[in-house]
Amino acid sequence: MNTLDSSYFNWLKSAVGIAFKIVILAVFIFPFLWMISTSLQTFRETLAFPPTWIPAVPQWGNFAEAMRAGPFLTYAKNSLIITVSIIVIQFAVMIPAAYAFAKYRFALKNVLFGLVLLAFMIPGQITFIPVYLMMADMDLIHTLWPQIIPFMSNAFGIFLLRQYFMQIPEEIIEAARLDNAGEWKLVRKIMIPMAKPALATIALFSFVSHWNEYFWPLVMTNSASIRPLTLGISMLRETEGISNWHIIMAGNVVLVIPILIVYLFCSKQIVKAFVYSGIK
Amino acid sequence: MKNKGVLLLTLTLVLGLLAGCGGGSGGGNAGSGAKGDPASANSAGTADAAASGGKTTVQFWHSLGGKNGEYMDALIQRFNESHNDIEVVGTYQGGYDETVTKLQQAVASDTAPDVTMLERAYVQMFADSEVLEDLAPYLKGSGISADDFTAGLMGHSYFNDQLVSLPLNRSTPILHVNKTLLDEQGLKVPTTWEELKNAANALVVKEGNEYKRYGLTMPYDTWYPIAMISQSGGRFFNEESTSVGFVDNGVGQEVFGYLKELQGTGALYYPPAQDSGNIVNSMFVEGKVGMMFQSTGSIGGLSSSVDFDYVTAFLPKNDQFANPTGGANVAMLAGSKNKEAAWEFIRWMETDPQGGLQFILQSGYLPFTKQMVESAEMKELWAKEPNRKVAYDQLQYAVDTNMDVAWPEVMHEFFSAIEAIMYDSKDIAATLDTFKKEAERILAE
Repeated sequence: MNTLDSSYFNWLKSAVGIAFKIVILAVFIFPFLWMISTSLQTFRETLAFPPTWIPAVPQWGNFAEAMRAGPFLTYAKNSLIITVSIIVIQFAVMIPAAYAFAKYRFALKNVLFGLVLLAFMIPGQITFIPVYLMMADMDLIHTLWPQIIPFMSNAFGIFLLRQYFMQIPEEIIEAARLDNAGEWKLVRKIMIPMAKPALATIALFSFVSHWNEYFWPLVMTNSASIRPLTLGISMLRETEGISNWHIIMAGNVVLVIPILIVYLFCSKQIVKAFVYSGIK
Repeated sequence: MKNKGVLLLTLTLVLGLLAGCGGGSGGGNAGSGAKGDPASANSAGTADAAASGGKTTVQFWHSLGGKNGEYMDALIQRFNESHNDIEVVGTYQGGYDETVTKLQQAVASDTAPDVTMLERAYVQMFADSEVLEDLAPYLKGSGISADDFTAGLMGHSYFNDQLVSLPLNRSTPILHVNKTLLDEQGLKVPTTWEELKNAANALVVKEGNEYKRYGLTMPYDTWYPIAMISQSGGRFFNEESTSVGFVDNGVGQEVFGYLKELQGTGALYYPPAQDSGNIVNSMFVEGKVGMMFQSTGSIGGLSSSVDFDYVTAFLPKNDQFANPTGGANVAMLAGSKNKEAAWEFIRWMETDPQGGLQFILQSGYLPFTKQMVESAEMKELWAKEPNRKVAYDQLQYAVDTNMDVAWPEVMHEFFSAIEAIMYDSKDIAATLDTFKKEAERILAE
């Protein structure tokens, strides 16, 4: 009797678990399905009420039409340059900074770390005007720099990585030092491999947020040649009147694909890193 | 070893790309000896004349995306093809509000364009900061009279007797009607509030507790209540711009009372704020609502997607016909260094048959000069699409009573009042009273 009860209970528990997962999955996947569905509809189908789910004839031409609406190759190139540069520069700044905060003792360490955290809490909407004026002063408004320079340091990344580095036992570092490993080698051979999950997470977050950035590039750029994909896609929208949602969504699908690729790559890395790292 | 190589490679690649793109970003007009030298190419956008053989570059900012953006690009291209000495660079700067934000920071940092599109309600604010050029002398110099423009669209053009902007892509709210549905019920297109109420109620289809069809709808916007306020003899701001002109005289109570009454019987569907314009458009196209207050900007899209008899009509009158106007004007920045060329672009866009006229014919915005209205092309279009003519004819009743430097700020308060009344069914009198006090506080500043 008792065993029957508990197996029934276990079954119920896992069923409820699965049901919850399905609900959450549905909530997250719904906007994507909606986007893909709309991107393949005709103009008339996008206006239908109740909404169309499966387009009668998939309109693959919507993608071509979206891409023809502006210099999308330039936008894509800009997005790629901006995002990759930001990530590379952030890693170059973040790893030494996090290492120093985690493993060194120096004057004003806590105050400096506090400043890093402070930077992490200030939203871009507050700083964009002074930053724009500064960039205009330096005559950089016609370049991609205003979209890169303000993001060279990633406060959230430094914070997360520092926590990770702090968990790495002092003994491992001592042992490496005894073997005459220099600081650079130490970081490269010990700190970075052990913090792989954190690095992959930070890279993913950083990529997604800068790839999707809309407000900052809008206020920092005045010409089409230095704008990223997000602005190109927002240009598909009508200011007044009826927007061509099927075209806008086709543009959005194109915008999202790189994120999915990076996500697939990064999520694998995260899992791998968890499996191989000796600690935990 | 391998990792280091990859890192180095990536860095080189990124830096190479950066350098390459820095050179390219100066844009197509830097064809001179600037190649491969990012510093000189970067400044090509601003200091232009010398580099490109005596061509003056005019920067023009606009807010048109989608199809209308393409029509605007075509207009700019036509201008450039017909002018050897001027190159207009048109750039989309986001929606109307985003363009305003960008203009504010650009003026402060001396990176503003020469010519800009400006949503009409913001003209006063910029003119008050003295950043817009007075166009009257230019107009005179080109032998154009202010009377050549459509009178109903000139409301936002003047500030302290200066002509600070000219109409460009202008629209107005209008009544869109599913005539097939009205005919089924034996109803005629309403011309008064009373008829509108009867028709809207007659169109309601209710099954159980669910409305299958509504009579009337309108987007969540200040435009429509303001139209109804002026139809009832009120003004949004009073003549002196010290307070609002529709609370103490009971007009506000009448307008919102009317809307709430219709909402209560399903005669009015008031959409959720987010994306309200799209929601009402699709409901109208699908026949889920019979009539709609909506911008003239929707006529083109609706005509091409409805499968019923679709007509437009004047917004019904209460005491009188009245309607506000919307859309954007064009203005010249006082800080421009190329004013002659900038004016030539504005003049050409406003008056040349190859300029604004083509854009208006394509986009469906309202014709803004008498010359346009009388052109053979416009007459031909109106014969084919009488719905567009109705929009223009309604301009004889155009009146804008929300013109004030403080409007953008008061607007937010008015939105809150609309939300309180339409969504939360708060007491109308109390809500409007609070709104009036807030508006007076803002106007007194």
